[in-house]
Order: sequence, then structure tokens, then C-alpha cells
Amino acid sequence: MSILSKMLKNKQKKRQDDNYRQKQDPQKPEDSPILRDYQENISHLKEEVGNSSDVKVREFKIGAHKGALVYVDGLANMISVADYILETLMEAEVPDETIDIFQFMLDKTMALGSVETITNWNQVFDTVFSGDTVIFLQGYNKAISGETKGWEKRAVSEPSTQLSIRGPKDAFTETLRTNTALIRRRIKSPNLRVDAMKIGIVSQTDIAIMYIKGIANEKIVGEVKERLERINIDSIQGSGYIEQLIEDQSWTTFPTTYHSERPDVVTSHLLEGRVAIVVDGTPFTVTVPALFIQFFQAPDDYYSRFDISTGIRMLRILSFLIAVIGPSVYIAATTFHQEMIPTTMAIAIASQRENVPFPAFVEALIMEVTFEILREAGLRLPRAVGQAVSIVGALVIGQAAVQAGFVSPVMVIVVSITAIANFSTPVFAMAIAARLIRFVLMGLATMLGFYGIMLGLMFMTIHLCSLRSFGIPYMMPLAPFNIHNQQDAFVRFPFWAMKNRPMFISKGNMKRSGENQKPGPPKQTENPSQKGEEE
Amino acid sequence: MKKWVKVILLIGLSVPILTACWNQKELTDLAFVMALGIDKGEDDLYHVSFQLVNPGNVSSGQNGGGQGLPIAVYKSTGRTMTEAARNATKKVSRRLYYAHTNVVVISEEVARERTQFLNLLDSFARDPEFRTTTEILIARGASAEEIVTTLTILDKLPVSKITKEIKSTEAMLGENFSITIDDLIDGIVGSGKEPVLNGYQLIGMKEEANKAVNLQKTTTDAFLAADGLAVFKDGALIDWIESKKSRGVLWVLDKAKSTSITLKWKGKKNALVFAPIRSKTKVSTILKHGKPVINIKIENEGWLSEANTAIDLIDPKTIGKIEKLTEKAIKKEVQISVKEAKRLKCDIFGFGDVVHKENPDLWKKLERDWNNYFADLEVNVKVDSYLRREGVRTNPFWSDINK
Repeated sequence: MSILSKMLKNKQKKRQDDNYRQKQDPQKPEDSPILRDYQENISHLKEEVGNSSDVKVREFKIGAHKGALVYVDGLANMISVADYILETLMEAEVPDETIDIFQFMLDKTMALGSVETITNWNQVFDTVFSGDTVIFLQGYNKAISGETKGWEKRAVSEPSTQLSIRGPKDAFTETLRTNTALIRRRIKSPNLRVDAMKIGIVSQTDIAIMYIKGIANEKIVGEVKERLERINIDSIQGSGYIEQLIEDQSWTTFPTTYHSERPDVVTSHLLEGRVAIVVDGTPFTVTVPALFIQFFQAPDDYYSRFDISTGIRMLRILSFLIAVIGPSVYIAATTFHQEMIPTTMAIAIASQRENVPFPAFVEALIMEVTFEILREAGLRLPRAVGQAVSIVGALVIGQAAVQAGFVSPVMVIVVSITAIANFSTPVFAMAIAARLIRFVLMGLATMLGFYGIMLGLMFMTIHLCSLRSFGIPYMMPLAPFNIHNQQDAFVRFPFWAMKNRPMFISKGNMKRSGENQKPGPPKQTENPSQKGEEE
Repeated sequence: MKKWVKVILLIGLSVPILTACWNQKELTDLAFVMALGIDKGEDDLYHVSFQLVNPGNVSSGQNGGGQGLPIAVYKSTGRTMTEAARNATKKVSRRLYYAHTNVVVISEEVARERTQFLNLLDSFARDPEFRTTTEILIARGASAEEIVTTLTILDKLPVSKITKEIKSTEAMLGENFSITIDDLIDGIVGSGKEPVLNGYQLIGMKEEANKAVNLQKTTTDAFLAADGLAVFKDGALIDWIESKKSRGVLWVLDKAKSTSITLKWKGKKNALVFAPIRSKTKVSTILKHGKPVINIKIENEGWLSEANTAIDLIDPKTIGKIEKLTEKAIKKEVQISVKEAKRLKCDIFGFGDVVHKENPDLWKKLERDWNNYFADLEVNVKVDSYLRREGVRTNPFWSDINK
């Protein structure tokens, strides 16, 4: 615990020295109050936004009072504007010309869920560009903003990258509100906090920081907020921007933040005490702190029984290892340690390699690079052409290369196994890390054999142990070893044995479940009357 | 940053110190030596035959295999093993690689001469590539070269034929057993046990053995077969224990697992066959009138694999009788082997080691002249056999014929 608080304190000290809070869009106009004359307000607005065709101004009269409403075409819902503002406004009967018409409008004519009074121009731009409607009235140095947000948005659909067999089929969309609602719908607790923030000087992207008060570690929540506030960038186009700007360590291939497009995953992370960062405009929500082992936990681990999920999780860790060392073991075994291969297999490999013109490393490199190119091409190509790539790839890699004698069939097997193993990592960010390390290890294996592989793996381990995610050691339940957190590391304990939330990440409310949760057959009750019935 | 420089320097500097066996060598630059055959020439040099594998002809993959011969044998001579191996490089295009050498065949001539035989062994034990678990054989009635050049039909690689064959004989018959270079050296060094080695014969038309024609017949003209155990004393071959007598040796050495024991029943020869499935031998010693006495206790259980006579196998008494007969038969086999060893004055059973372990003081006195002492040693054999099963039939059909 002391390590964590020390880490956080050190970070905080550093932060106080920076004067990072000076983040101002140089092009943004100085904030100024709204004027009394609505005509002047309108002309000021037009001056600011130029001739932007999507900013609509509609003048109106209510009783004897003149005014104008402003909204952005496409962001505001036209039906809301017409039915709940304009219609009520026009049909309203003003009882007395002397009443406060501003208050009257707020009270009687805005048939909307959320109505606010705003007083300066920054607020005007914020609300208008978020899809709200702003109403200026003659003679008032304030304006009414009514919520009319309603732009075209993608419906909640099935997740496209993180699939599950038994899990829920909904996924986040690009709309912040939809995403927070998907989470809120799963945690109906008043302790679920949704703190709003805007990041990006120009883009003013909405961000929601979600956590469960009482479960999340307040220090981490504070740290997250502080790191987010520190961000001084023109725009945020996706959660990847945020991730890279709040990481503990940039010089690593391993992801130290977790992202998911599945609300069930984010919800369970929240319940473990993690903090979620929902970013508007992207279906990927970031959760922190993220630990190494977390990237091998798939949602299905929790939906299927513990024995099965434990086995499958082991398989995933094994396949990660294969993805990392597969080709390098092949290189090392065939060029340094031929004695390690069983005799018949050594001869079989030797016979296949007999006519291959390249040394093992070059052969492996050709195949690996070809495969990476194919994968990248398959990812980028328009869907209609995509199939062509797989056909060409299968032919080139699988058959033609072997028949031409450029590569040995064993190499094809090694590359295929490595590639398939790589796909079984549930989170892409971790899978891609393995891809990079693989090439480094291949080089080491060529120069030093198994010694080189071990050297590389040792470096990798040392590096992994040195990583931190929001002050939490990255290899957490393994190094430093923590017996309590083993319940969801390599082995997924049954739920009745998974009593605690992960230490350090969660603070305060550590208990997950009550005692005696283990199910069993009905208890034998000694009821003589029942016995009698049976007889 | 400074730390990293130090770490990288440290690793870089440790590279030259840690040189063990990591000179890089591509698979295609290696010649896998599968077997070595060592003969004695008239010039007092070792005549070494290197059986190299021709990988392309062994595996049947897409690249097509099996057209040519799976092995090629190169010969070379030298005063020592290393010299012979280095001389061979003049003839072989690739680097000779010994890590997959499975069999070393030594001719009887070489094995009978103490210094020549012993001079070979250190090179096998010292070379880091060479495995001390390599099978070592004595060529019997043929030169080592002939054994090494013979082609085999079922296993493409003759060495895998030899190693597999010895293992299956050990498991199913119990006349030969796997003996490695390690075992041999242990036996030569220790004074309480003398080593034995498997003999190997080339049966049939020797001149056809190394030709591809040999593989095109269902009954090959020449084939390899294990035959007898070579007995070594003072580091040289002195005599052979023939196949029939060698089973007793395996019983005593606790190597026999399964075999077949043919029994006589009520005057009918070859009436019953008992097949042990597991067996355990314990050798112990006691002092009797100041002299060590060896007690051999063999316990085995098995099943009745044949009953060629009318016999009532339902009766437990019959089973008891069969067990008794088996015990007698095994006891006889062991006694024959012990007698044979005594005749050679050569303790191949390791009785000396047993005495050494149980009575070190006495051993000190006996150690020097143990083999002579062994010739007059009292050896008691006790066998306990258990017939557990009769296969899938109880009474044989013979019981019904005579009714």
C-alpha cells in the first residue's frame, strides 16, 4: 500500500510544478456577456460563426416581445425545436404585458426536459454546438438554452471486435450518452458517479469519468482526473488519444490501459473498483488501472463455469507464449540445438530444408513479414476486395512458396500456429505487443540460440515487472505476489470463492459476496410426515 | 540511461565467457551420424564406418522421398576416434554431427583387445555432442562395417530398427536389453559387476545386405538380428552367453518384464505357456559361516497365454500347480545362467555390488579376487509366480474334445 501512495505522491508533487493549466484556444474569442439587445446578439453570433450555413436563426414574437432562437441544423432535433419550443411559444397567451417574459417563457413555453439560463457567450457556443437551442429575448442580458439534442446516431449493435458466446450482445456506440446509459442500466446504484469533462481545445470533446464511489480507490480517481485535466491538445478523436496521454509509461509495447466496446466488461471493471473513461465519438471505453493478466480475461470466462474458463484462460496464456516465441524457437532449434529435436523429427525437418536456399532466420523472416503484410492488407482493404487477399495469401503462403522450394513446410506450420495463437488473445492491444516482441526474439534466437530467447524473455519479464498502471504494479497478482488476488489470475475461482475485489485497485468496500454462497443439493430435512408420503 | 548502458555492456561482455555449444550451424550443413561401426584393420588403425542419414530419402513429404537409399556409409581410418572422425571430413561434404547417433557397433576383434577397446570409450563420453545414452553393440560373426551398412526394410533407418528391436525384445522376450555407453563404462570401472553387451548378427547373404535390391523382397536376403550377450572381463570381451541362456541373466538383473515360459503338463510337452506381465527381482546377501551367500528372489505375475491340453482351469488347485511349474522353470533358467557365469568366472550379475553395499568390511577383503570367489559362491534362487488370468477363455477346447 505504501508503494502506491508514495508513487502517487511523487507524481502529484511533480504536477504541482507544472503550470499546465494554461490551456487556451488561441483562436477562441474572449468570453463576453450576452447583450440586452437581441438584434445585437444575433449579429454578434453571425460575426463569430461567419456564414456557417448550418447555424439557423429564427426570429419570433411572443406577445409584444421580440426574440430569436438559434440552433444548429443537424445537431438539434427539428421536431423538438418545432413542437416543444416554437409551437408552445406561438400558442402561449401572454396574460399581461408587464410580467417578466423571460421567467414566463422558462416556466410556461419550454416543453423540454432540461432548460437552463445562460449569461455569457462561451456557454452559448457550447450549448448550440452540442445540439441545444438558445433563445435570446429583447431586453434581457441572458438567454434560455433548451435541450434539443438529436442528431443522427448509430444504433446500439453487436460488438465487432470483442465477441462473446454467452455474453450480452450490445456494444457501445459513438454517442457518449448512449454509452453512459448502457452502463447505468447495469448498475442501478446511486454510488455510480458520472463526472463530466471536456477535453480538446478546439474539439471540446465530451468525456465522462465513471466510477463507483465507495468501491473505487479515491486516490486513483483523483489521479485519473488530474491526468485528464493535464491534457492540452487540440482535439480528441478517439479513446486511443486519451490512453496515450495518460499512460504511466510511454516506452513500452504493452498496454497499460484497457479498452473495451462491451458495456458488460466495463461494468465489471467498475465493480472491481476501476475507473472508466467514456469518450464521446468512439465506441471504445477506457478503463484504468489495467494489469497484465486482465488482457487474458475474456468476458466468457465469467459466463461459463469456472473449470472451463480456467482451462481456456491457461490456453490463452499458452498461446500468447507461442505467439511470442514460436518462430524464434524454430530458428534456435534448427540452427543451434539440433540435439534437442527428436531424431526422426530432426531428419524430417532436415529433409524439408534440404532444398531451401535461405538460412532458417531469413526463411522465418520472409514468412513472418509476408503474413504481417497479408494481415495488414486484409484489415485495410475494402470489404469487397478482401476475399481476394485471403485467396492470394493462402496460395502464396501455403502452397506456392513451398512448391517453389523457397520455404519449408515446417516453416509454414510454425507461422500458421504462431498466427492463430496470436489471434486468441482477447484484447487486440496485447496481441499486437506479442507481434512486435516476436521479431526481436527472432533476431536474438538467430544470434544466440535458446540463450538469446531466454535473454529476451528475461528482459521482457523485467520490463513487465517495472511497469505501473496508475501506480499499481502491472504484474500485480504475480509480482508482487498477492495470494488474495489469485482468485481471478491464472485460475478463475468459482464465484462463491471469489469473495474479494482486487486489492489496491479497490479500496474500502472489498467484499464481493456474502458467506456460504456455495450451492449444493437440498439439505436433508428430517420430516417424518414427508417420509410417510413417500412410503 | 547510464544504467542501461551498464546492463547492455554486462551482457555483451558475458557473451564470450558463456560459450558452450552455440556455434550456429544450419540444419542443411550437417550430416547426421546415425551409427558408428568400428573395426580393426591389419594396420592397427581403427577403421570407422560412419552411417550418415540422407534426409531427403527418409521422410516422405511433398518434396518426394524414398527414391534413393536412406543412408550412406563413409569410411575412414585413424589411430584414435578423433583422428578417424577428422580424416572423414576429406570425404564428407558436411559437418559430422553426433548428437543423434543412436548406435555404436564394435567388432568382436576390437572388443577382445583390452587397450584398443578401452581407448574408444573416452571419446564417446567426452564429446559434448555425443550422447552417453547411445546404444552400444558388438558385431557377432560379421564386421561392424557390415552391420552398419545393412539396409532394413520396415524401418527406413537401420538404427531405429536396431534400437526399437532391442527395446521390444527387452519388453516381450527378455533375451537382450538396452545397454548404453554409460552402463558400459560403469561396468568397466566398478569391481563388483562386469558389463555385458548385446551381440548383433547379420544373417543371410552378407554381400546383398547393403544393396537396394535387399529391400525389394518380402524375405530380405540379409537381415540384422540380436544374438546373445557378450561378457566382458577386465575391459575385454571373453566369451558369449547364448540367447537361450541369456534370459536368466535378465531375470537376475531385474530387466525381464515379459517373456513366454513353456511348461509340460501331465506328460504332454509344450502344453502350457505362461506369460509374465510384470516381474520384480531382489538380490540380497547374508553371511553363512563367514561366507557371503546370495539370495535371489523373483516375484512375477502373468497370464496363461496357451493351454494345449485338457486341463481344468476352473479349479484353483490347478492354478496353484501351474504356478509351481512356472517357478521351477524360471528357477532352472536362472541357475543355468549363474552356472554359465561361474564357468567364465565373471560376475555379470553385480553380486559383488550387493555384498559391497550390505557388508563393506567383508567386501574390502574379497574385492581383489572377487571374480574367482564368485565362481564358488553359493547362490539361492526363490521364485514366486502368480497366475492371475487365463485370457478370454477359461477351459481350453481340449477339455471338450475328449468327452
